[in-house]
Amino acid sequence: MARYILKRLWHTVYVAVGISLISFFFIHLSGDPVLLMLPPDASKEEVETLREQLGFNDPLAVQYLRFAGHALRGDLGVSLVHRVPALDLIFERLPASLELAGAAMLFALAVAVPLGILAAVRRGSLLDLGSMLAALFGLSMPHFWLGIMLVLLFSVHLGWFPTSGRGSFAQLVLPALALGLSLLAMFARLTRSVMLEVLGQDYVRTARAKGLRERLVIGKHALKNALIPLVTVAGMQFGFLIGGTVIIETVFAWPGVGRLVVQAIFSRDYPLVQAAVLVLAVLFVLINLLVDLLYVLLDPQISYGGGS
Amino acid sequence: MRKTAIILAVLWAAALAVQPAAAKDPDTLVVVQEAEPVGLDIMQSSIQTTMSVGYNLHDTILKPQEDATVKPGLVEKWEKLNDLTWKFTLVKGATFHNGEPIDAAAVKFSFERLMGDALKSPHRGKLNLFKGVEVIDERTFTMSTSEPYAPGLYMLAQYLFIVPPKYVQQVGDAEYNLKPVGCGPYRLERWVKGQEVVMTAYEKYYGPKPAYKRLIFRGVPEEASRIAALLTGEADVVSGIPMHQRPKILASGKAYLTDQMGSMNYLGLNTYEKPFNDVRVRQAVNHGVNRELINQALFQGKAILCRGPISPRTFGADPTLKPYPYDPEKAKKLLAEAGYPNGFEARLAYGTYMPQIQEQAEAIAADLGKIGIRVKLEPYERAVMWERYKNRQHQMFIYFWDDAPEPDRYMYSLFHSKSRDYYYKNETVDRLLEKGRTTLDPAERAKVYHQIDRFLYEDAPWVYLYVIPEVYAVSNAVEYKGLRDGYLIMSTARPRK
Amino acid sequence: MLEGAESLRLWGETLRALGRSPGAVIGGGLLLAILATSLLFPWFTAADPLAQDLLARLTPPCWQEGGSLAHPLGTDNLGRDVLVRILHGSRVSLFVGFAAVLVACGSGILLGLLSGYYGGRLDSLIMRVADVFMAYPFMLLTISVIAVLGNSILNLILVLGLSDWVTYARTVRGSVLSIKEKEFVTAARSVGTPNRVILRRHIFPNVLSPVLVLGTVRVANIIIWESGLSFLGMGVPPPMPTWGRMLAEGRVYITDAWWLVTLPGLAIMLTILAINLLGDGLRDALDPRLRNIPR
Repeated sequence: MARYILKRLWHTVYVAVGISLISFFFIHLSGDPVLLMLPPDASKEEVETLREQLGFNDPLAVQYLRFAGHALRGDLGVSLVHRVPALDLIFERLPASLELAGAAMLFALAVAVPLGILAAVRRGSLLDLGSMLAALFGLSMPHFWLGIMLVLLFSVHLGWFPTSGRGSFAQLVLPALALGLSLLAMFARLTRSVMLEVLGQDYVRTARAKGLRERLVIGKHALKNALIPLVTVAGMQFGFLIGGTVIIETVFAWPGVGRLVVQAIFSRDYPLVQAAVLVLAVLFVLINLLVDLLYVLLDPQISYGGGS
Repeated sequence: MRKTAIILAVLWAAALAVQPAAAKDPDTLVVVQEAEPVGLDIMQSSIQTTMSVGYNLHDTILKPQEDATVKPGLVEKWEKLNDLTWKFTLVKGATFHNGEPIDAAAVKFSFERLMGDALKSPHRGKLNLFKGVEVIDERTFTMSTSEPYAPGLYMLAQYLFIVPPKYVQQVGDAEYNLKPVGCGPYRLERWVKGQEVVMTAYEKYYGPKPAYKRLIFRGVPEEASRIAALLTGEADVVSGIPMHQRPKILASGKAYLTDQMGSMNYLGLNTYEKPFNDVRVRQAVNHGVNRELINQALFQGKAILCRGPISPRTFGADPTLKPYPYDPEKAKKLLAEAGYPNGFEARLAYGTYMPQIQEQAEAIAADLGKIGIRVKLEPYERAVMWERYKNRQHQMFIYFWDDAPEPDRYMYSLFHSKSRDYYYKNETVDRLLEKGRTTLDPAERAKVYHQIDRFLYEDAPWVYLYVIPEVYAVSNAVEYKGLRDGYLIMSTARPRK
Repeated sequence: MLEGAESLRLWGETLRALGRSPGAVIGGGLLLAILATSLLFPWFTAADPLAQDLLARLTPPCWQEGGSLAHPLGTDNLGRDVLVRILHGSRVSLFVGFAAVLVACGSGILLGLLSGYYGGRLDSLIMRVADVFMAYPFMLLTISVIAVLGNSILNLILVLGLSDWVTYARTVRGSVLSIKEKEFVTAARSVGTPNRVILRRHIFPNVLSPVLVLGTVRVANIIIWESGLSFLGMGVPPPMPTWGRMLAEGRVYITDAWWLVTLPGLAIMLTILAINLLGDGLRDALDPRLRNIPR
């Protein structure tokens, strides 16, 4: 087990290096931030001085090594626009992102899993058809559209929830709902198909044949096996969600990392984009590591010792 | 399964238990803009939404007026010593929010900080004709320019922000950007990044006290969400309202609208290269855009059609000019004369971040198609648009400038070859622009700008479009009138009786 | 085991299985109808999707008061015909969706085949690169690539495609690992068939089915995603309409011109419904285990 975790931590390191290389070279191909940082009437000398000060005149490889050296010491540079350390900005926003992603995930799982199971057990029933059709509709609505509709309905028309911002529980509901609905659709479909697969397996049929009560069969044998793919996908989705909710953040003025980074991309704020990409990637890897460890809890038969 | 059912029930109950935002504190004013500030030190950013927040925390030495004149502020009186030098006297007993006195030394410190290399302030170019601040005594100081500079006082009123020397030196520039101590009508209470900037009225403010004790700025990027916040009463003042939303907001009975400074959109042409190096082609394009129809269709007729490059609302615009009439036949004739009887293909760039821009670009492209100019649209996001602009890669481009009250502000920046020799250069214009900024007598000065306006109208380096006044929606409970210079100075807002 | 005639037989069986599933029939039929419409509509109407009539802007659909048969589904904010735009938009949207999946599928299959078949260093290199791509925040990658390269259709297809290859590569690699130990492969190898031929003739046909299922569903995702990019101003460049951009641009008129956001939305929804129904049917048909479940 310990060896497995060590191996996975090593995996995190090379992913981080890979990510930083890609983002570094890519971002530096993207244009000159110096022109953006100075007023339009700046002279050529001013441009050159600033470029020199920021180290943009050195070869890319030198710039990368300098970046990597600082990064090892936990210094990911200072945002060009906000003029504070990039890492501080990201960690300020991270709780909001985690909160939104977590709430959406909880909501989606809480509804989708029971729904998916019911649909699988009563395959072909009206409930199955209805819920799967609804799930398809859920999958085909763009986030921004759904978000605006929710605001119009629940805030402007009914007055139940605030339109935007973060701080109270009420403000979390609509963005979490908007984000959660498409996840819900995805999870419900996944649960259903995994359950169908499991229900077709020999041991479930044997259990049934032995006359075990249906609820026990489903709850104990089927669900447990169905959980593993579900947890994998949920973990992966959670990783995506942390940096991938730009659109919902924009509609609901939610102060998450996604919008921060997209703004940074637009304004060529190199250090901030770079730091954010790195942090998000490492988080993604760590979350997936956690998920893998969760398997062990779910199914003691899986072991990550040596061997295969 | 039972567990999930319970969780669901709890979530649902919690959702229902939450009441919509409780009745708002009547002493609090909530302003919602398109973006939250990037920092709170107004010297460190020139982004409009950031400066709007900053102007409530920071004061300049004078108050800029809509007609490009100034009124007393921190400086209670001033006199012109000669064509190059002004002498200023500060009000008595004014203090920064931390109690530091506002004296001539603080003004000197502020000017030097603004112009210094360390801060890299985006505003420093705006005051670079000023040589420095001479402290006479505690309350008096002089400032002089290197040449006679007509817009001088106005520029000081707009950009010479006063900051407390001791505090700034103590905390440093980075920290000051997060926790500034200013001398404006409001002091910072807290800034929750990504959420809100909360300010309270400064009780020892030297000027008229603001009506609201508390002022909150929030940033909401999506237009529909901003309007929703206004309609639900979460916001009192909302910026960035497109023209076509006017009727709906008025019909809601909850808010009214006020105009502010406008965005003066123009269609720039690269006059250095074919085909726009020919003035007949440039005039043809001017005749080929149906501004009036675009105004009716996209802006409810509320935009102001431009005549020449100087906004009709700005000092110095020549009142005798008429907007280029829409005349596709004449346009075609001009194109034929210039050697393009079958028109030509052209690229039209625009920044995707500009409001309602897509509609305008497509409408203009369709108009130009009718006179034989086949337009390829090139949308760029902010940074790329700017970069290509500076690298002279645009052929036609839609850009904008605020229709500021002071013509030198944009005319010099945009047309003087020393400033932006990117797409147009003309010696006559250069000479006139220099004359305009150094002529101190207002009547004489107006004549110079009339001349510039007329010259550029004929020479047509741009297609002159329209000024779109920026619309702010204000809750019926609040009395607020938009200011011509474009910032949200909320100390002028009052509860409505 | 799965060579030549055998493989053909399996495909035939799959098709038959597909025919038995009502969802797949409906979905497939619907998708065919949508594709046919988007290919053939120019025979029936020559109207220009870009023709503006600013005076007739925001005309409602014909069945509503103020609407007219000249614009059966109404006009948009510049007075362009919504129906004509939806028809033209179908081409761009579907093209982007399918092309991006093709790019992702193609590169994923290729890398997955190489990785799984040759193993060793090549395998671990490809899989490591895959790990990095997987962890790279996909959304930010797309946005930054488009911010830099500009939003042409080609760039969009490439970036949407290339940021999605990992899933395919991993799936294919998994299948290859199990297939390459099968008798018919080892037999081919023992008689000296070159690797290239083995890969093409014996392995490739047998790894396709899971990828096919994955691919169909991803087409739908990409159409939605293009809409999201349009919302951020980075989708397919104007003036050619796409469903996604119509939706994103129409949203500012959401309260005064419902048809601008509802109708292209409906088009997206129908297409995605069709694709997903077909995908589900395909998966059921290709996965024999699911066929045996008692109903």
